[in-house]
Amino acid sequence: MPTKNVVDERISKFKNKGKDPAKLREKRISACVELRKANKDENFLKRRNISVDLSSDYISNEMVASLAIEDIIKDVNSNCRESQTQGCQAARKLLSQERNPPLKEIIAAGLLARFVSFLSMDDEPNLQFEAAWALTNIASGTSWHTQQVVEHGAAVWALGNIAGDGAAYRDILIECNVVPALLARISPDTPVGYLRNLTWTLSNLCRNKNPFPPLSAVQRMLPSLIQLLHLSDKDILSDACWAISYLSDGDNDRIDIVVRTGIVPRLVELMSHEEISVVTPALRSIGNIVSGSDLQTQAAVDAEVLKVIPVLMRHQKPSVQKEAAWALSNIAAGPCRQIQQLITCGLLPPLVEQLRNGDFKTQREAVWAVTNFTSGGTVEQVVHLVQSGALEAIINLLQVKDAKVILVILEAINNIFMAAEKLGETEKLSLLVEELGGLDRVEMLQNHDNELVYQAAHSLIESTLVMVMSTFEF
Amino acid sequence: MELNDANLQSLTEFLRKTLDPDPAVRRPAEKFLESVEGNQNYPLLLLTMLEKSQDQVIRVCAAVTFKNYIKRNWRIVEDEPNKVSDADRTAIKANIVNLMLSSPEQIQKQLSDAISIIGREDFPQKWPDLLTEMVNRFRSGDFHIINGVLRTAHSLFKRYRHEFKSNELWTEIKLVLDTFALPLTELFKATIELCQTHATDVNALKVLFSSLTLISKLFYSLNFQDLPEFFEDNMETWMTNFHGLLTLDNKLLQTNDEEEAGLLELLKSQICDNAALYAQKYDEEFQPYLPRFVTAIWNLLVSTGQEVKYDLLVSNAIQFLASVCERPHYKHLFEDQNTLTSICEKVIVPNMEFRSADEEAFEDNSEEYIRRDLEGSDIDTRRRAACDLVRGLCKFFEGPVTAIFSGYVNSMLGEYAKSPGQNWKHKDAAIYLVTSLASKAQTQKHGITQANELVDLNEFFVNHILSDLKSPNVNEFPVLKADAIKYVMIFRSQLPKEQLLQAVPLLISHLQAESTVEHTYAAHALERLFTMRGPNNSTLITPAEMAPFTEQLLNNLFKALALPGSEENEYIMKAIMRSFSLLQDAIVPYIPTLIGQLTHKLLLVSKNPSKPHFNHYLFESLCLSVRITCKANPTTVSSFEEALFPVFTEILQNDVQEFLPYVFQVMSLLLEIHSNSIPSSYMALFPHLLQPVLWERTGNIPPLVRLLQAYLEKGGPSIASSAADKIPGLLGVFQKLIASKANDHQGFYLINSIIEHMPAESITQYRKQIYILLFQRLQGSKTTKFIKSFLVFINLYCVKYGAIALQEMFDSIQPKMFGMVLEKIIIPEVQKVSGPVEKKICAVGITKILTECPSMMDTEYTKLWTPLLQALIDTPGYQTAFSQLAFAGKKEHDPIGDAVGNPKILLAHSLHKLSTACPGRVPSMLSTSLNADALQFLQGYLQAATVQLV
Repeated sequence: MPTKNVVDERISKFKNKGKDPAKLREKRISACVELRKANKDENFLKRRNISVDLSSDYISNEMVASLAIEDIIKDVNSNCRESQTQGCQAARKLLSQERNPPLKEIIAAGLLARFVSFLSMDDEPNLQFEAAWALTNIASGTSWHTQQVVEHGAAVWALGNIAGDGAAYRDILIECNVVPALLARISPDTPVGYLRNLTWTLSNLCRNKNPFPPLSAVQRMLPSLIQLLHLSDKDILSDACWAISYLSDGDNDRIDIVVRTGIVPRLVELMSHEEISVVTPALRSIGNIVSGSDLQTQAAVDAEVLKVIPVLMRHQKPSVQKEAAWALSNIAAGPCRQIQQLITCGLLPPLVEQLRNGDFKTQREAVWAVTNFTSGGTVEQVVHLVQSGALEAIINLLQVKDAKVILVILEAINNIFMAAEKLGETEKLSLLVEELGGLDRVEMLQNHDNELVYQAAHSLIESTLVMVMSTFEF
Repeated sequence: MELNDANLQSLTEFLRKTLDPDPAVRRPAEKFLESVEGNQNYPLLLLTMLEKSQDQVIRVCAAVTFKNYIKRNWRIVEDEPNKVSDADRTAIKANIVNLMLSSPEQIQKQLSDAISIIGREDFPQKWPDLLTEMVNRFRSGDFHIINGVLRTAHSLFKRYRHEFKSNELWTEIKLVLDTFALPLTELFKATIELCQTHATDVNALKVLFSSLTLISKLFYSLNFQDLPEFFEDNMETWMTNFHGLLTLDNKLLQTNDEEEAGLLELLKSQICDNAALYAQKYDEEFQPYLPRFVTAIWNLLVSTGQEVKYDLLVSNAIQFLASVCERPHYKHLFEDQNTLTSICEKVIVPNMEFRSADEEAFEDNSEEYIRRDLEGSDIDTRRRAACDLVRGLCKFFEGPVTAIFSGYVNSMLGEYAKSPGQNWKHKDAAIYLVTSLASKAQTQKHGITQANELVDLNEFFVNHILSDLKSPNVNEFPVLKADAIKYVMIFRSQLPKEQLLQAVPLLISHLQAESTVEHTYAAHALERLFTMRGPNNSTLITPAEMAPFTEQLLNNLFKALALPGSEENEYIMKAIMRSFSLLQDAIVPYIPTLIGQLTHKLLLVSKNPSKPHFNHYLFESLCLSVRITCKANPTTVSSFEEALFPVFTEILQNDVQEFLPYVFQVMSLLLEIHSNSIPSSYMALFPHLLQPVLWERTGNIPPLVRLLQAYLEKGGPSIASSAADKIPGLLGVFQKLIASKANDHQGFYLINSIIEHMPAESITQYRKQIYILLFQRLQGSKTTKFIKSFLVFINLYCVKYGAIALQEMFDSIQPKMFGMVLEKIIIPEVQKVSGPVEKKICAVGITKILTECPSMMDTEYTKLWTPLLQALIDTPGYQTAFSQLAFAGKKEHDPIGDAVGNPKILLAHSLHKLSTACPGRVPSMLSTSLNADALQFLQGYLQAATVQLV
């Protein structure tokens, strides 16, 4: 499997592609296979109070014969778990039949409340699952039926869980008009607990890519989400921010929809919220927005995001540091006036601190920030960066155990040499790199097993670091 | 090819012949096997042989042949035929794992390699059951088989350590983890248990520890890209066991071998790597375990001996500590005074000691010693690791560490003083410690550039270094002498000048030391001191200051070249070159003797050139001798020619390829010193220089072109008169050069020299052909570099032969060609021409086209007149820079020279002349289509030239 040039690969993910290949702005790469534990901050959002085992063999091993509606009601209302499960299963099968599903009868028999109560039975996953499915099938009836489900306070949870289960379920719910039904419940008088559930369910309706939720639904939800973002309850704020982070995690058109609501200043404000559960999604949203166009990035810069990022880069949680560094790396991929703002707002010291002492994931983003900065910045800006200690820090990182990071650092060093050449200071820089131990490290990298790393190191040595002895020196 | 006994028999015979020492037997057999390897069943026949042959040699040979066959043929290249039949592919994959596992080790290794080659292509999609098949063997309980599986897995997975993250790669790793991680963990636990039950059975332990080492390697590969969920969940199991293994010792596994690392060392070394990986990349998750590992690794270091076999382990372990101690949140693990003292005392100091292995290298393998000690190829050594740890600790604890070490340095120096003969190694360690403590940043050019302020380097020099340098017996304690010389060399930028001046004569006398390391260091130190710059960018040490020592310096340097082992010592040769360069005129009196020694050396090394650096500096020194001497007195050039030509002739005759480029350069230098005539000795050589074979080697091209240019410059007319038959050969070289994108500029250098220096009539008949070649190349591949050179050439031609000649030449090749070249090449591209001389040539040439070419005034070319003028004025630099030309172009050859001082004034005068010849036309052409800016500049030039257009 030939390895493509990573830099090229990364370029293809930037919206600026074609305009200037040297400017590297990175979208969140979400389609990637993950080896790690799924992000803990995000994972708990997907499901609350319910764990459904969607294993395929469970679904395929259906052996329950269809029951008459009376039997179903009896089973569901019984006290035996087995009968309950059997009843729920029969109910959802019955409800999924194409013609005249007996929705009214089920609702009239009061089974909705029953299904909802099953949702909390964590030790009976099969029962939970069947109940949730039955509820989905009811909700996907006419809007009256949806209304019935929504009005059962706890059922909003069920919808949230269903919506969080993937783009397909989400879109089924959207198609059966869950959105207006949910939005209608939001009012100044809605109790906080209920509002929290609604917000969370809305956030799950915004969630998931491939495909994104339909634009019409997004447009419909946004005004309410914006309203919610101005409340003070931390859970509501957190979920509303997560919703925004999902909506902004896409191409520039998606980002644009969010930016045009004028919510950016509020998001920046929330990045300084005292609750980490609010800070994390607010930061994610802003991170997504600055991965967009220069104009979109400018909206965040105008909202003074650059005053908050240094604080977050020094946050005690490494995951926050990493997100902040990622945002910084994308702002550094912008035009040189935005790069200048990075300097003016004092982002270089925290950047260098992270390069020196940060957690590896943060260091990785910080390295990208340096490479982007050096490829788009003016000569003066690059000099400033070097003087801030970034060169020393990235040279130290040449020993990391990650081929891609090494290649990106070599690219940065090369960019710095290009700036030095414009100043006629190549030799001075060569000496500086050597003093900092860079020559030794780059020479070592000529033995690296990764072909591209080896080549990059080799050509850096050839072109800049060593005087080639091809002619006499007089 | 059937799978039958006859074929087996015949293949066996051919295989046997491939082992025959006689090429007449071996080659045809190899050829035959190659010719049949495309047949179906061929690989299966090989597998059968390696399994069933009675002859052990044939079995191994079949295994090797099979692996090479797989290497050459397995990959399916797009648009090329599939070289292994599908049936064979399936059969191979179905059998190879079994076969590998049941084979003896020699064959197992080959098949394991083959599996990983196949795996690289087919795994996982086209070989889905490979992993399960392998994992199932874990349960076999047979560690011979298990180790085979582990080895194969290692060769399949180790690429995860260096490849870039990609969806494809991570999908594969995920799949591997799903199938492999749990069984591997179970195997790891079971193996450790077995080690306990078999703690007294040395043979069993050996096998089990190989397994553990392989398992640890697999752990490293599988955890490299990111921290997998499985390993995060099972970190406790892995880390606890790794920790246990680090602290484990078993007498039975200790080896007597001093050099070769044993199983315990290999395992622990890999565990250090694993811990370092987690500490670096997964710090957040690994934090709870890290302090335990720090302690264990530190204890390990304290208890590990000085033998070479432990080097890798020790250096890995120290590097682990070095990387952890600079992290702010682990600072607390080290900051206790007792901890620091203990690390300094028990880890750093012992690993800085001069060991007997170092002593052996110092005496018997000086090249290797110098490479490690001077050139920094000591990455894996204990000393280097200990140095890195000192530097890491100094990040937070510079004061305390310096204080602790000062105590040690003093006590070690004290020990030395008591009995130097016995305790000289203590002083060596003290110097090494001071050096590693003091140096914070270093370059080859300046030595140490940043020092620890807490160490007084000058005081140490005066009290402890100078005495060794001054010691009258240069051969006593050579290691300490070398240390002292190195101290001067690396701290040269820190020491005051008077100390350096004091050191110079002492260094000169050390050039006579018998020890190769010592006299090499002395030469190197002198060479470095001579390159140092003082104020005004002149050398720090002046020739006047060197005057008292000049003779001895040169004497000792050349004597050192005669010492055994230093006959081709590049450091000495470089010091000779540097001395010449520093001393300049002061060497002239010595040259007659020295040149003989240098040419003698050249003759010797040309028999078998093996040290490229030495040879390079040798030629540099020769060149400097020529330049310095002939600058004072050009007539001495002939004495150099007398001395050098016999050797050069021999080099040319024997075609010593490494030396030819140098010889051509020295010849150019010599020839350039002659004033406008070419000695017959050079003319005799001229035909040889045109031999195509010389031009085949790229390294020859630049110096040969330079040499031919020197011939043309000095003897254009004599070539035309006495070697006219060689002109086609010369143009043949030009033709070859311009055909190549890499060398076309060299071709232009040559043709420019021909145009400039050859009498016009001698090349008249070739001119058209020259242009046709250039146009062919232009049509074929038009690179910016070629166009720039082309523009300079046609403008030079125009300056030399006139604008009309240029226009007529183009139009004779093809009607309206001149207009096309103006419109498509000159006007749009002339702004790209760079270099002051090149720009000047173009400016003058274009001025001539504008003002001395009638067809520009009254044919269809007229419409190009103003665009051409516009292009000329818009050329960067044209508007401002030309007045500086007299200084900028000092070194560069300017074929136009003083004939045109300022091309802008020339343009003004030429336009004026043109306007008087056809009154009214020039101003009207200017005012209709030249843009305002250009017009303004032009007005300025006209004013400066005090002319007016009419």
